[in-house]
Amino acid sequence: MSYFSNITNAVGTLIEGMKVTMGYFVRPREHVTLQYPDEVWPIPTRNIGVGELDAYNTIRSKLVVDIDDCIGCKACERACPVNCIHIDTYKGGPDEDLGTTSNGTKIKLLTASFIIDMSECMFCDLCTPPCPEDCITMTPDYQFISNDNLKMDVTPEQRWRDRNLLIYQFSKVSETERQQRKAQAEAIAKAKAEALALKKAEALKAAEDKAALAAAEEAVTAKLDPTSAETVSASESVSTDINSTGSEVKVDIPIASVTLAETPVPAAEPVANTPEPETPVAPGDDISTPDSSENLEDPTTKESENG
Amino acid sequence: MIQSLANWILSFDILAGLGNPIAWGLSLFIVSALIFVFVAVNAIVLVYIERKVSAFMQVRLGPMRVGKFGSLQTVADALKLLQKEDIIPRSADKILFLIGPWVILVASVVTFAAIPFSDTLLAADMSIGLFYVVSISSIVVLGIVMAGWASNNKWSLYGAMRSAAQIISYEIPVGITLIAVVAVVGSLNLQTIVQAQGGTGNLFYWIPLPLPNWFIFHSPFLFLAAFIYLIGATAEINRTPFDIPESESELVAGFMTEFSGLRWALFFLSEYANATLVAFLVAIIFLGGWQSPFSNYAGAQIGFSILTLLAVMWTLFVKAKTQRLSFYPLGLSLMITIAAWLFPGFAIWLASPGLFWMLIKVGSVIFLLMWFRWTFPRLRVDQLMYVSWKVILPISLFNLMGVAVWMWLTGEIHF
Repeated sequence: MSYFSNITNAVGTLIEGMKVTMGYFVRPREHVTLQYPDEVWPIPTRNIGVGELDAYNTIRSKLVVDIDDCIGCKACERACPVNCIHIDTYKGGPDEDLGTTSNGTKIKLLTASFIIDMSECMFCDLCTPPCPEDCITMTPDYQFISNDNLKMDVTPEQRWRDRNLLIYQFSKVSETERQQRKAQAEAIAKAKAEALALKKAEALKAAEDKAALAAAEEAVTAKLDPTSAETVSASESVSTDINSTGSEVKVDIPIASVTLAETPVPAAEPVANTPEPETPVAPGDDISTPDSSENLEDPTTKESENG
Repeated sequence: MIQSLANWILSFDILAGLGNPIAWGLSLFIVSALIFVFVAVNAIVLVYIERKVSAFMQVRLGPMRVGKFGSLQTVADALKLLQKEDIIPRSADKILFLIGPWVILVASVVTFAAIPFSDTLLAADMSIGLFYVVSISSIVVLGIVMAGWASNNKWSLYGAMRSAAQIISYEIPVGITLIAVVAVVGSLNLQTIVQAQGGTGNLFYWIPLPLPNWFIFHSPFLFLAAFIYLIGATAEINRTPFDIPESESELVAGFMTEFSGLRWALFFLSEYANATLVAFLVAIIFLGGWQSPFSNYAGAQIGFSILTLLAVMWTLFVKAKTQRLSFYPLGLSLMITIAAWLFPGFAIWLASPGLFWMLIKVGSVIFLLMWFRWTFPRLRVDQLMYVSWKVILPISLFNLMGVAVWMWLTGEIHF
């Protein structure tokens, strides 16, 4: 009578299974899929040992600088073990007021560009203690995402653009003004170097002249040569010329607006040691080699011929 | 319904000049369009419900992103399917490949012509309605074989052959089960079958428990027949315990493998149209169709009071099982009960037959089908044939005989 016991067994087990699924159906749904963008896991709260427990003192994630308070001392840049902070500072003009920090310190250097490369950062938090103004902090923002469409249309060929999107630039001035200041600073430096070179050359020439004079004095002790005096005066006039041009280069650029750009700069500063982008592998390239596709097609044609 | 709609069209002064033939054709078109719209919207709603039910039974959430609780997900899916490329394989039999899905769709939509949605909502009042539905829904197998053969793909052909074998095998027990019902009513007209189930009577004729005169409570044999029919019909529409024609783990997608875009959507549409048809047939034949479960308004009041008591028990059961209080079933039934006791009009409406009761019954049967689908594992091919020929067919033959004997015992027929 295994026939009837089979049937009763089947019906019994089917009812048992239906009970199980109905149990799950009516059960309130908790501990199921997290609806990620709408809800996130709570950030674990713990003291990392610096100061009081507050928003900036929970977990170490995205590194953010309050660029208003930066005095351009480059202490964080020096402290960074992986060199992921790149600061660009320029001296302000003679009468330029660069403001004060929230601690009341007068800012003397203009931070034109403060680049944090989050793709290299190792979240060690060593850059925050040296900051005299407490303006560089590790925030608990661990989601390096944005609604920026720039991120959405990354083709496989441009995959390394994602890395550039992890480089965050902070700045007090606009990019054009930063370039101007850079050019100006370079011009000043160049002029200074030229002046220095000229001074050196002059000193060298003077020394030569002196040596020549001494030799001449040695040779002709009583007689005074008028040519040596002429050369000295000429060199003096040249040096004054250079000084005047140097002061002309120092153009005062009024700072129009202080921009606070916390925008990732795509390819603003191409990082030197960027690894070679991998050649994108098209899906199915390695699977369907010409041979295998032929093999796949063969049986059907054979079958149709046979049939 | 078509003639009455035509008469209604002709009753307007402006349209009276159309003449009866044109008005008749117009109403025929309107009714067909209504049925097709019903089938399409029904598929969209059912796919969403099925996804939610399956998710809830598997401790998931299901679609959540499109619309509130993902309610627009299937609309988005349908729009996506309409925009997709219609790929026809190079070595496919083009004509059959193009016709196949349409044959399946037409066969499953046309059957709704004979389905009585309520006592007046009926496209065609046929004297052989049940025979028409059963025979037309068998044409689906032709479309499946067409699609499977035309695809020129071994998976598709396997699926089509399995489907043909399965549907032909299960037609026999299903047919014999339906003959048992027809023997009780003495008519193949679906409307007559529903009308025969009005009123209240004893459970299984002798047990003194007042229940509606539905055929599922007619006799133990018809009670069993309802489940036999449900099993056979599930196999006929290729739903999951019997989904070997499109078994994903073996045959990719069976006869649907090579289809894409709109044609694939047609398969899906017909699948859910068939499921709805089976639910309608179960509701009409065994659960009293559009008949109300209550014979009068006092019955509705008492019935919903009993339902509220059951809901209280259910709430306590859920509380014991999950340590949670869920008041949804209790609150709903309590509200309806209070309304039924306070407003006799509402109770009278509850006791009167109509589309509402039909849809409630159809929905319950569809939920049962979904419950089957997301609980039971798939049968092997030989097990499928074993169940059909060695289990269900003998039981249905025994049922037919048992119903005849039962009717002789209860005095419904005389020899």
